[in-house]
Amino acid sequence: MNRRFLINSISVFTSVVITLLITIILLIFIGKNPLEVLALMIGDTLFSGYGFGQMLFKATSLMIVATGLAICFQAAIFNIGAEGNLYFGTFISNVIAVSFRNLSPLILIPYSIIAGMVASMLVALIPPFIKVKKGVSEVITTIMLNFVLIYIVNYFVLNFFAVKATVRMEKVDDSLMFMKLFNLWDFLKGSSVNILFFLGIFIALLAYFFLFKTKLGYEIRAVGLNETASKYMGINVNLIIYLVFLISGALSSIAGLNFVMGYKGYFEIGFSSNIGFTAIAVSLLAKNNPLGIIFSSLLFGFLDYGGLAINSLVPKEVMFVVQGIVILSIIAVDKIVNRIFVT
Amino acid sequence: MNILESIISLAFLSQVIRLYTPYYLGASASNFTERSGVINIAIEGFMTFSAFSYVLFSIKSGSPVIGVFVTILLSLFLALLYALFTVALKVNHIVTGIGFNLFIAGLTKFFLVYFFQSSSNSPQAPSIPSISFLKFVPIIGPLISDPVILFSFILLPLSQFILYKTRFGLRLRTAGENPEAGDSLGIKIRAYKLYGVLISGVLSSLAGMWLASSQNSFSDGMVAGRGFIAIAAMIIGRWKPLNIFYACLMFATLESLEITLQIAGSGIPSQLVQILPYFITILVLLGFVGKTKPPAADGVPY
Repeated sequence: MNRRFLINSISVFTSVVITLLITIILLIFIGKNPLEVLALMIGDTLFSGYGFGQMLFKATSLMIVATGLAICFQAAIFNIGAEGNLYFGTFISNVIAVSFRNLSPLILIPYSIIAGMVASMLVALIPPFIKVKKGVSEVITTIMLNFVLIYIVNYFVLNFFAVKATVRMEKVDDSLMFMKLFNLWDFLKGSSVNILFFLGIFIALLAYFFLFKTKLGYEIRAVGLNETASKYMGINVNLIIYLVFLISGALSSIAGLNFVMGYKGYFEIGFSSNIGFTAIAVSLLAKNNPLGIIFSSLLFGFLDYGGLAINSLVPKEVMFVVQGIVILSIIAVDKIVNRIFVT
Repeated sequence: MNILESIISLAFLSQVIRLYTPYYLGASASNFTERSGVINIAIEGFMTFSAFSYVLFSIKSGSPVIGVFVTILLSLFLALLYALFTVALKVNHIVTGIGFNLFIAGLTKFFLVYFFQSSSNSPQAPSIPSISFLKFVPIIGPLISDPVILFSFILLPLSQFILYKTRFGLRLRTAGENPEAGDSLGIKIRAYKLYGVLISGVLSSLAGMWLASSQNSFSDGMVAGRGFIAIAAMIIGRWKPLNIFYACLMFATLESLEITLQIAGSGIPSQLVQILPYFITILVLLGFVGKTKPPAADGVPY
């Protein structure tokens, strides 16, 4: 184990402990017994098949989006556009899936998934284009593009695709739905976790290998560490910038399918509920390391479902606060730990 | 109803000004902090926080004035926390902004349920009291007697003056343009960055409180992207108070036009009008509509 890994572990561990402490203080402050709340949360999530499955389900989308974002962040590209990409790509997938019902599922499943990915990748090209051509930071363009994409999709859904008097689209054919994992393991009965979870783990592992064991991955990290030096080393920096946006665009689109083809069966306005932003926190907590993202997304999945589990004691929204504290404490603690250990 | 008639009416004009108010306050908030070199993309969060805090404290204390003062104090504290991250710890500004947005969104959702037992909206809250003697001014009286609207108009010459005519403004801009040079002249760069963040805290707090006060309640997601439109207006306005004023006025007019056309039943889809601020910003960034240049050391920790 190298020194860097040790330092990162210290800061992640410290910030999780700080978050736990603040949460306990918050619970005491609002007059609840923290032990009772935590026991219920852990019991209903980690020791219940359904709760465990739901935790994995919630972790799936976050894991996939965060992996794409981690690749961007490794290149020092602050892509905040995952939310819009996810929304747009998933919408296109759903459109294809309901428009070509007579195709065999064997063709239609890959067709709709790839169509969504391509659509998402195409719009993901806009921010790097503006960055490369005009030198404008991707932060502003991705924020603006999120709104543009979400409003455009809402316009098309409401005016052309929505089932009457609802804000959702038609359900895709049952044959297109991803296999639920409770078909394999009975104890997960009723939960929505599906094969996309394993795909998520696979993507994270692949991304780790890509980032840390291949030449291209090395170039991505080099650009992130020092863009000018990379340029003089002969790395095509612009190409790297386009590439990381394409990867995160494609992955964001897949993540949205967890809802459409893994759970509800249809695109619904507002379904993404900030996954694209929460995934930023998931990636940062893992120090932008795809292996770490597997664990940090599980932690966020645990918080997401854990909130529902404790709703009878404390409003479930308390877990949004906890997620906020996690992200703020990791970014602060990380700076402090680095100041102490790296000199 | 005649569409043209409703557009040139006084009601239309006052609607424009009411839409303009939170935009200009938010955009000025963003401008002051970026002029000092600190990017704050959590304006949206700051506005949400203040809208909630105003509603909570004015309902619980029964006095909107107490609500305003407590909220300004709390948002100064929040801004101080933001400065602790970005200025003292030198955490990346974008990451900090995202973190604050997520944290505040969670915090307000939770306290909304905790204090008001509703996940969607608060009970009715009082409005910020208006300045009674200004009510009798003919025509514009109802508008300028609202202290926040009045302030949002005074803010234009005020920020022109502060940024370009005072020593404070010069030093603030130095912190954003060339902190090394300022430092070598003995200017306390970090202090000026802190001032920039604190000013942005107070201004965005006014924007949030005004939204809550004019809607007489807090509802989840009520800021609805206004904090980001404000940032867009600042970019289109090229970090200059007067241009930002025009940009905000343009966005407000477009939005008001959309509402008026909607009521008149013109059939123009509202989503396509809602896109415009963001879309125009992208076009501006692409260089179709003039050139934009942020402060030279914007977002660089010092």
